Amino acid sequence: MNERVSPVFPPAPWSVRTKRAARQAAMKSWLEGMLYLFPSLLLFGVFLFYPLGRTMYLSVFHTDYQGRPTEFAGLAHFVALLQDASFWHSLKATILFAVLTVPTTVAVSFGLALLVHETRKGIGIFRTIFASTMGMSVGVASVIWMFMYNPAIGIINRLLSAIGGVPASWLLDPDTALYAVAAATIWMNIGLTFLLLLAGLQNIDPSLYESARIAGMSYWRRLWMVTVPLLSPTLFFVTTVSLIQALQTFGQIDFLTKGGPVEATNVFVYAIYREAFVNYQFGSASAQAILLFLIIALVTFLQFRFAERKVHYQ
Amino acid sequence: MRAVRTAVHYALLCLCSAVILFPMAYALLMSFMDGAAILAGRLWPEEWTWANYEDAFRQAPLGRYLWNSFLVASVITLGRLIVSSLAAFAFVFLRFPGRDRWFYICIATMLVPWEATVIPNFLTIQALGWTNHYVGLIVPFWAMAFGIFLLRQQFKQIPHELYEAAQLSGIGNFRFFCRVVLPLSKTSLVTLAVYSFLDAWNMYLWPLLVTNDDRVRTVQIGLKQLQTQEIASSWGVVMAAAIIAMLPTLLLLFAGQKQLRKGLMQGAIQ
Amino acid sequence: MRKVLAGFLFLALVGLAAGCSSEDAGQAAGGKTEVVFWHSMSGDLEPVLNDLVVDFNQTHPDIEVKPVFQGTYEEALTKWNAVAGTKDAPTIMQTFEVGTKHMIDSGKIVPVQTWIDKDKYDVSQWEKNIVNYYTVNGRIYSMPFNSSTPVLIYNKDAFREAGLDPEKPPLTYSELKEAAKKLTKKKGKETERYGFSILNYGWFFEEMVAVQGGLYVNNNNGRSGNATKAVFNGEEGKRVFELIRDMYRDGTFYNVGQNWDDMRAAFQAGKIAMYLDSSAGVKTLIDNSPFDVGVSYLPVPDGVERQGVVIGGASLWMMKGSSEEEQKAAWEFMKYLTTAPVQAEWHVRTGYFAINPAAYDEPLVKEEWTKYPQLKVTVDQLHETKSTPATQGALITVFPESRQHVVKAMERLYEGIDPQEALNQAAEETNQALQGAAN
Repeated sequence: MNERVSPVFPPAPWSVRTKRAARQAAMKSWLEGMLYLFPSLLLFGVFLFYPLGRTMYLSVFHTDYQGRPTEFAGLAHFVALLQDASFWHSLKATILFAVLTVPTTVAVSFGLALLVHETRKGIGIFRTIFASTMGMSVGVASVIWMFMYNPAIGIINRLLSAIGGVPASWLLDPDTALYAVAAATIWMNIGLTFLLLLAGLQNIDPSLYESARIAGMSYWRRLWMVTVPLLSPTLFFVTTVSLIQALQTFGQIDFLTKGGPVEATNVFVYAIYREAFVNYQFGSASAQAILLFLIIALVTFLQFRFAERKVHYQ
Repeated sequence: MRAVRTAVHYALLCLCSAVILFPMAYALLMSFMDGAAILAGRLWPEEWTWANYEDAFRQAPLGRYLWNSFLVASVITLGRLIVSSLAAFAFVFLRFPGRDRWFYICIATMLVPWEATVIPNFLTIQALGWTNHYVGLIVPFWAMAFGIFLLRQQFKQIPHELYEAAQLSGIGNFRFFCRVVLPLSKTSLVTLAVYSFLDAWNMYLWPLLVTNDDRVRTVQIGLKQLQTQEIASSWGVVMAAAIIAMLPTLLLLFAGQKQLRKGLMQGAIQ
Repeated sequence: MRKVLAGFLFLALVGLAAGCSSEDAGQAAGGKTEVVFWHSMSGDLEPVLNDLVVDFNQTHPDIEVKPVFQGTYEEALTKWNAVAGTKDAPTIMQTFEVGTKHMIDSGKIVPVQTWIDKDKYDVSQWEKNIVNYYTVNGRIYSMPFNSSTPVLIYNKDAFREAGLDPEKPPLTYSELKEAAKKLTKKKGKETERYGFSILNYGWFFEEMVAVQGGLYVNNNNGRSGNATKAVFNGEEGKRVFELIRDMYRDGTFYNVGQNWDDMRAAFQAGKIAMYLDSSAGVKTLIDNSPFDVGVSYLPVPDGVERQGVVIGGASLWMMKGSSEEEQKAAWEFMKYLTTAPVQAEWHVRTGYFAINPAAYDEPLVKEEWTKYPQLKVTVDQLHETKSTPATQGALITVFPESRQHVVKAMERLYEGIDPQEALNQAAEETNQALQGAAN
């Protein structure tokens, strides 16, 4: 970047100027803004919007195994999807998965962040430990959880047996598989969510707590009246990102259940992946990707529309 | 009373740590067991062996892979910090026509399922001649809506009066960005850096697609290389490799953690 | 911290510069022909493969084979699809058996038959029952490489404990059910040991159908013309599903899911006494099990004549885009791989079959077989296979997808659904996929 940017603040809308000057200034401010955005927009354009456009294009075609369009299909893929019970099942599984993971992850991480927000001896070690799960790749974490869930030799069943519980075949039972994957996912995601919330907490001016304490507020009341509102930008961010991530879950499904048993964990992105990379049905996979995109867009829009109003920026 | 509270607090901390650390400890213990002990479902190795680590290094060029991962992840991180903070700054402090629309367009990129973009992106990289080069592994990941969003949330916390004051005293936007915004946002920048690094460190499918050569391949490929289906995987070796791949990231987390605390103190002073 | 950061950055930039400049140094020097070989041999298999390649390169100074690991078979095929026909494509590509039709239809490959003819190479030395799979319309399309078949694995100690003869494993469904009943051990409500298990994976179902002489798809398993309809929901398939249903109902069958290592873990932990596994996994299994391991043939329904097994695993394909010289070099490499000593080493170190049966006479193999007599059983089962369209294996492009439907059908069995209904649905879904692919 260069430093030749004008030292003059772009005109505020209320300043009285001639129309032409205003337009010129607007143009200038636009150019300056775009200069800052240029690297992002260029990369997004090439590596996200172009493929997205390509996906939209492919979604109305039949394709060959290399993903080249062969014949116009119109909305055939979409119609077929909407009539397919598997699609609706997959949608249900995805939503259930998000509902199971997002609130729990955020709540647990928030609790952990509060636990280490106080200054105590050795607290740094605990902070590192709580953040440590983000250091593991999905692949590694999944392999470990696979071992723990193993019905024959896994540690979870062994512990259960030891305390007199009934061992279960976690990932093999359509009734428990999604919950089991969700539990592993929560563990994997805690690290990042925790770290973000902790960073948010640390950004809060300590003097605000002090005044609340002097005003005689209890811990829980302080939490609710001071911490939560001040942390709301981070909470909002964390929830939005977690939700999007949950709706796009793929790796742990691939490792742990392959979408089974009986499609119980066949979440959206996994279904797309399989359709495109195993079955080479690029048209149908693209149509599904577009639908997923629209769903996530809707959810995120609603979040910005309704939740961000409650967010308190300083 | 205070002592009780402290004790309860530490007890809670230890309990949570135990739960979180357990899977990792499990992996660590498995990495010291031989195949029979793992498949028999042992938790504690009867005989500790380094054989798995030796095998892991013998079967895949992990040293080279680790170096490549380090390189790729560092440069991705650096690029992301620059690109994201520039964009976030524009979204928070600059006023220009269509600003919010652009913001939502950037956010919208988060909604694109990555799996849907892989094949077209691979073809793009191929057309650019970037296969088998570090650039192909790095450049596509520089722009990141997550980073822009994260920093925007942080920048919004900076009092707008500061900006107005800077304007009045004739400080340019870019200088304000470098001298005021970035130092004030250290915590978030470090968070983003740590996240970016780990995210890049853990990539698998993309590096596999765009590289053919051990000289540029990354450590997650090495991990996958050690697992099999039709014949039994040596889980001890896989776990050993997992531990090897994890160590640098844990060290980084620890360093980042220190930095976070410093960032806080600086923030408090100002 | 700042210094650390600066150092960190410096290292990264230096490394980046070094990496970029050394990029194209990999060209084979000194007039060598380079053969890029994409494979999916991970874990313990990769070092064996690399050793074979090193030996080849040393004995063939004008050829340089470069093995490159490309992830799982699916991942490798995805990548290959994207680059097939461009300069980034390899000269040799390893693909799993169910990708055979896909490769042929792609039009981007050269049948190895072309080189067999050019070289007047005698293929009768190759194992007939393996080559059959890759022979389409009388032409050998790819060179079989890592080949395996399913076998019945059982715990001999458990057999003794249950009063069964460990040298007489069950050969028919009724014997299997009988043995499984005796092997199942309960402690209170909980089952400590189950008699039998099959992985929820399409391959095992296909084999259980083929061993009875049943076809998977019409038109002679897609070998006398493009398959248009799934027929695995016929009598043979139904018998397999009913077997699973009955045994699951009796509590003698254990659902191990669809992860291979989970299944082996269950066996080695004594949770299941008999199960089906790939012949390639036998040796490691024997080494790692804390009890005597027996290996036997796939069981067949009572009164049904045993037809044999279909070959599984993967084969090597030659690419059309490669130059004549590269193809010739690739062919040299393939020929080298099939020689008896190389195959002996491959068989002994991995557990995969030798494509060249002469390898079984090598001292290396003989010695190994005295140590692991179980390995011979796997080879015998293959040798006794009768060559029919059923044991040749089905030829369809949508095989991976069809397998997903079969797996789902198996999983629905445990939910208590009627075997015929589950099969019919899987067949119907496969039909749709077949139709979609024909479009």
